[in-house]
Amino acid sequence: MSVLEATEIVSGYGEIEILHGVSLSVGAGEVVAIIGPNGCGKSTLMKTIFGLLEPTKGTITFNDTDISGMPPHEIVCLGLSYVPQADNTFLSLTIEENLAMGAFLRTGDYAKQAEIVYDLFPDLKERRDTKVSALSGGQRQMVAMARALMLEPQLLLLDEPTAGLAPVFVETVFTQIEHVNQQGIAVLMVEQNARMALEHAQRGYVLASGENRFTDDSKALLANEEVARLYLGGAA
Amino acid sequence: MIALIVDGIILGSILSLGAVSLTLVYGIVRFANFAHGDLMAVGAYVAFFLVHTVFAAIGIPNAMFGPLSFGLPMALALPVAMLVTAGVAVSVDRLVFRPMRQRGYAPVMFVIGSLAVAFAIRALLFIIWGPEFHFFTQALRPALQLPFEVRVKPDQIFILLACLTMVAGLYLFLQRSKIGKALRATADNPDLARISGINTEHMLVWTWAIGAAMAATAGILLGIDAQLRPEMGWNLLLPLFAAAILGGIGNPYGALIGGMTIGIVQQVSTAFLLPTYKPAIAFVILILVLLIRPRGILGSEQRGF
Repeated sequence: MSVLEATEIVSGYGEIEILHGVSLSVGAGEVVAIIGPNGCGKSTLMKTIFGLLEPTKGTITFNDTDISGMPPHEIVCLGLSYVPQADNTFLSLTIEENLAMGAFLRTGDYAKQAEIVYDLFPDLKERRDTKVSALSGGQRQMVAMARALMLEPQLLLLDEPTAGLAPVFVETVFTQIEHVNQQGIAVLMVEQNARMALEHAQRGYVLASGENRFTDDSKALLANEEVARLYLGGAA
Repeated sequence: MIALIVDGIILGSILSLGAVSLTLVYGIVRFANFAHGDLMAVGAYVAFFLVHTVFAAIGIPNAMFGPLSFGLPMALALPVAMLVTAGVAVSVDRLVFRPMRQRGYAPVMFVIGSLAVAFAIRALLFIIWGPEFHFFTQALRPALQLPFEVRVKPDQIFILLACLTMVAGLYLFLQRSKIGKALRATADNPDLARISGINTEHMLVWTWAIGAAMAATAGILLGIDAQLRPEMGWNLLLPLFAAAILGGIGNPYGALIGGMTIGIVQQVSTAFLLPTYKPAIAFVILILVLLIRPRGILGSEQRGF
């Protein structure tokens, strides 16, 4: 059964249409990667799913609830969290305060969930009272994911989680995504690091020019000659 | 000289309170609110109306508190005036700025809009209370004689303590409370705040309410120290902006330092210059800051505080 179901999404910025009818689904507990060249509409798709852009056509359902055009602060209550590519932390706030903001909609105490999240990112626990502006890029990415986990989402949307990170951190981030997934949280990620993303995902979507190009199991996509040549930078 | 510095600290504390609230609003709504000074005047006139008309009519005893020049009516008028001024600011946002936000106007349009609001508020004050000076009280209270020929009115000590208490209260609110942290988060990164589930429209209501309540207090304290005039807040707008920019625009903690500095420098300048040049001092400081350190004392490249 799928958690997220996007059907024939048409979306873009104002008059400029970027997505011309993209469909995708994410099953419970699944890791799904979206890959494709720059400008193919990967980030637009993420923003449209999370309500930052309104689709002009098509429907998005989350656990059978229609969320097309719903504002982000309502979507986040349903168990869908989003980590944008850039500016994804509150730099002038401490790590702990970033987590508190992630838990803003929780009515009770967030301490228990914070402990669970700190167990996933032990490095953050030691520095919980440090301002995020004092952290490295890799640590900031951890804060960004930690913040998004504070409402115990069923599905985490990650927009380019490894963009701009030093190669040593790239592997760490993918390992952390695996750890998050082991908690039963489904992950939908957009990645430039296409090959690594597919290696860490069960299924993949290849987008090109705002349309679905290939949809398959990750292994099949990695083995596909055409995908390898066009989108993975080399032979399968 | 020391007497001038003491006077400067009193003026500086009122400027600080005004500048802290001005810059708090700037940090979150992201435009320079030219109506901020006039919100100060609204607070002062609402308190004046309550003390002299409403409370006098219902017969609240007007015995003064110890050596201070005001009593129970003012103590009751202060919180009511804060609430009314907060209501005015939130209504203005709802009627003027929210429709502009929804239509995606450029920031400069909001500044011009706030200028229009400033003129409208001042015109209303003129229509209702006239151009003449008003005083909370005509009573003369003896000043305290301190060493070094410093004379301080008990009211002025109250003004200083009230300002410091309010700024400290704001600090604790921003650092400790859930709403305060969410306000800082919204100032830092409004998109991420929305993504986290923070309703940023609610945060704007909080911001206007808190900013206006603090402005009202500053206006009332200014009225206690001097007198009420419809243009009392407008005339302070330049020093307020100078203080906010000196401290680092958008940073309330910087505005406290900025306000004190401008207040002291303005008063001390009267030892060398005619008092009529006093407002020009704020100009000079503003230009110097913009030339030497445009980010201000506590300002940084990034947003948030």
